[in-house]
Amino acid sequence: MTTTIDPTLHTAALAALEAGLNRTLDLSPQSKSGLARLEDCVFALHCTAPTLDIYLHPSAQGIRLAGTHHGPVTTSIKGEASDFTELATSRDPTATLINGGLALEGDSAPLIALQQVLATLDMDWEAPLVATLGDVAGHQLAQTLRHAFSWGKQASTGLTRQLEEFVHEEARLSPPRLEVEDFYRDVQELGLRVDRLQARAERLQQRLQKARS
Amino acid sequence: MSDKETTHFGYKEVEKDAKAGMVADVFHSVAARYDLMNDLMSGGIHRIWKRFTIELSGVRKNNAVLDIAGGTGDLAARFAELVGPEGRVVLADINDSMLQVGRDKLLDQGRQGNIEFVQADAQFLPFPDNSFDCVTIAFGLRNVTDINLALRSMLRVLKPGGRLLVLEFSKPQNPLLSKAYDTYSFRVLPVMGRLVTNDSESYQYLAESIRKHPDQGTLKNMMEDAGFCQCEYHNMTGGVVALHRGIKA
Repeated sequence: MTTTIDPTLHTAALAALEAGLNRTLDLSPQSKSGLARLEDCVFALHCTAPTLDIYLHPSAQGIRLAGTHHGPVTTSIKGEASDFTELATSRDPTATLINGGLALEGDSAPLIALQQVLATLDMDWEAPLVATLGDVAGHQLAQTLRHAFSWGKQASTGLTRQLEEFVHEEARLSPPRLEVEDFYRDVQELGLRVDRLQARAERLQQRLQKARS
Repeated sequence: MSDKETTHFGYKEVEKDAKAGMVADVFHSVAARYDLMNDLMSGGIHRIWKRFTIELSGVRKNNAVLDIAGGTGDLAARFAELVGPEGRVVLADINDSMLQVGRDKLLDQGRQGNIEFVQADAQFLPFPDNSFDCVTIAFGLRNVTDINLALRSMLRVLKPGGRLLVLEFSKPQNPLLSKAYDTYSFRVLPVMGRLVTNDSESYQYLAESIRKHPDQGTLKNMMEDAGFCQCEYHNMTGGVVALHRGIKA
């Protein structure tokens, strides 16, 4: 591994990231069981811009982050920070791994399992709130937050759908997805027909040349 | 002139036989508040230095680890998690006060089963040859009377392919940092020691012993002379601390 910055900074950053990540995982007990299944796996993330290597060691207790690792690695992925962000937030990680800018070595199945654990965190805020504020106030606040998150999610989905409809149907700023797909299919079909026509024309030309000679 | 061999105890020249006792007095005096002082003196950064040591140790499940001068057990606690129930961690310290504080702390944390506590001198380790996958000594080597003897003893107890990690104060690489560090060590530390542990002399010794300890290059050469291979070091916090690693061939 090549650490270009002082190991103190590198290690401190990883320690802070690990603490935050594990605190989040503590709120999502289901995720912990998912991580327990990946106990013996080591994932290597080699970021090229900025230059940074991170090794993830999942276990039932959480995820341990390290800047160095000596030993076999289950899955190693290399790419830029933006590629990793895309993978982490992707709805279809398999497609992102295949089509994205990441270079993958090793077994991809445990990596996809890890991505799914992290992408589907189901945080239970009630326990820490109750521990801090007491049973009644903690429960009330947790319920209010749950409603607020649920409303926010619904509002965001509705707004996205309405915006999409406005752009495609009302303002006609961009064609609808189905229309675009039809258009691409037609273009593809046209391309094939042109190729066939060209082949036939070439064959005719060859025949004519033979007849003249 | 006395024909007895001498060594340094801070800036003082003392008889070799007397140093261990003098160092022991220092640690008897500070043992109870050792963790608190470490946090205060380093601003908590000693935890980051130790974390990097653990990363570089490459310790994994079922390994046997010896933590020499293990003090209050910061490294041993983490190693016990990494090696798992089938592994083995030995926390060794020459000083019984430090060992007692470390043992009480780890047992209070519920760590048992794979940890042993041994009072041992780093120069004469009471373990068979080729016993450990990894040996660590954090902030302890400078207090050892004969560093070369200790390094050879550590090499002996390591298995072939095993790693030695030495985490120790070293020489800052930047002259400006060096000056600030000197001021901090000789002006602030003894005052801090007097206020927290009612013992400024121990912290005066700490500052002096750091200056007398071999610098990065010298310690690397000493490790090579003792028989370690692939020796390397990593400067941390501008060289205030260095982590040396060597492998037993």
